[in-house]
Amino acid sequence: MVEEDKKKGKPFLEVLSATLQEDYRFPVLEVFAFLYVLGTFAFASFGSVSFVSQTSLRAYSAFSLVNSIAGVTSFSTLILLVLILKNVAYGFGSDLERGTIQTYFSYPLKRRSILTAKLLSAIGLSLLLFVTVQITALYIIAPQIVSSYLSTVVLSYLANLSYFLIVICITILMTLLLKKGAVTLIFGIILYFGLYISVSFASLISYAAHSALALQIVSCFSPNYALGLYLSSNSNPIFNVWVPSYAEVLSFIVVSYSIVAALLVLSYYYFSRRLNL
Amino acid sequence: MVEGLSKRYGSIKALDNVSLSLTEGSITGLVGPNGAGKTTAIKVILGLLLPDAGRVEVFGQNPWDNEKIRGRIGVVYEKSFFPPHQNILEYLQRCCRIFGVDESKALDLLKTVDLLDHKHQQVKSLSKGLLQRFSIGHALIHNPKLVIADEMTANLDPQARASILDLVLQLRKDQNVTFMISSHVLPELSHVCDSLVIINKGRLIASGKISDLYEKYTAASVRISAEKTEELAREIGKLPYVKKLTANARDISIQVEPGKEQNLYEDASAIARKIQVKIYGIETANASIDELYKQAVQPNNGG
Repeated sequence: MVEEDKKKGKPFLEVLSATLQEDYRFPVLEVFAFLYVLGTFAFASFGSVSFVSQTSLRAYSAFSLVNSIAGVTSFSTLILLVLILKNVAYGFGSDLERGTIQTYFSYPLKRRSILTAKLLSAIGLSLLLFVTVQITALYIIAPQIVSSYLSTVVLSYLANLSYFLIVICITILMTLLLKKGAVTLIFGIILYFGLYISVSFASLISYAAHSALALQIVSCFSPNYALGLYLSSNSNPIFNVWVPSYAEVLSFIVVSYSIVAALLVLSYYYFSRRLNL
Repeated sequence: MVEGLSKRYGSIKALDNVSLSLTEGSITGLVGPNGAGKTTAIKVILGLLLPDAGRVEVFGQNPWDNEKIRGRIGVVYEKSFFPPHQNILEYLQRCCRIFGVDESKALDLLKTVDLLDHKHQQVKSLSKGLLQRFSIGHALIHNPKLVIADEMTANLDPQARASILDLVLQLRKDQNVTFMISSHVLPELSHVCDSLVIINKGRLIASGKISDLYEKYTAASVRISAEKTEELAREIGKLPYVKKLTANARDISIQVEPGKEQNLYEDASAIARKIQVKIYGIETANASIDELYKQAVQPNNGG
């Protein structure tokens, strides 16, 4: 039985290894990104003491700290975005476009295993690298804030990450549908910033209409927004059209990850059951 | 194996109610003009495309997402795409590990397809011909029982073509491997194939043993050498089964309906006796496979 399982696992690992070699064959960008991010954080750590002493240890400062390091427009997140979109669009998308995926389909592997190997290679490694760097940086820059407001830091991080994952999952789905590497790369970048801009529009609509609906919709894919409103509710009461409760914030985070899961399930379903090559 | 297969791409019917089956240990040629539906048929058989209608069974199972039967099928695609930055020997060794085959097979296969001198090259640096040879080696790595090859000998030089076709015959003889080979080079197919499947505009035009197809689709050509050919030709031309007739001073070339050669021998002899013309000899000439193909795909023959 164990021998059989080993036999089954081997084709998957071999395909994963081949795709990793292709995706990271020339990792100058990855190494540059890693060193740059690490260097930025190393320099930032010199100023961490003053940063902590000048900032009152409130939950909102923990939220701001996470946003500055792992927020939608933070430099490290943008590097991660470029890396993953490059791997998804040029690695996976080009495999579909050129037909390399047909070669993998001649091996004794389920379609879903091939997709898993491709996604682990395209997304898994970069994501693991950057989540490790970002979490380490958070602790180096402000250990006191992290330890005092751990739950807020974790929630803020999860809320930021879900937005990023939703964009990546939609890009994967588009890659499967379009089978065009370059097109999906452009699509992914436009989507990332388009959704971000839509948050600002939703805020404007909400303030103008005195309705929370637009903000609630936006919070489904960007729960960080709801978390920010929850944490800053006492500081700017005039602008608060909607102040979500803690339970609501948690629900929006759950909803956003449910969207991620649904998009992944849809991608797997399409790849396994419908994708014609 | 394939029953009532239909597949559409928008308004284009790529396959229209195609049925065919392969006998174990046979070599079947899949032929048809460009855009006939050959590659679509192959993709459906390999489980890469979902048919709109019909049933496909390979080794008694549906090939769609069926990893079990992939271990028994070798595939040579019309355009081969391998991960471009892989060293070819290392990649074949990886494939050996994927299929649970001894890694030494990789070198043996590179030798078989004459790629030993290129074993340290990356896939992307191979020329079209070398890539095709690599693709053939890749398809054979796991000792498949069925090999499906789309334009297998495309891009190969004549010597490489001959050696690959010899390899096909050898594999059939030694391991009873079944082959389905799609190709445009018909004389090549006639050397190795037992049977042909002819498709055109997505429809099955003909299938069966090559000898049977010759009988069905080609007119038998008979040449008679005689004296006074003009007079003899005039009389033979009146026979109802004669389709075409040309004569010169020494010979008469006659095309008759399939299976009517014997009748022509008897009738021509009788006519010659009657008009007192001496016949020097009668011989039958076989049509080429190209002629068979042309006849089969002609609109009035179903094509």
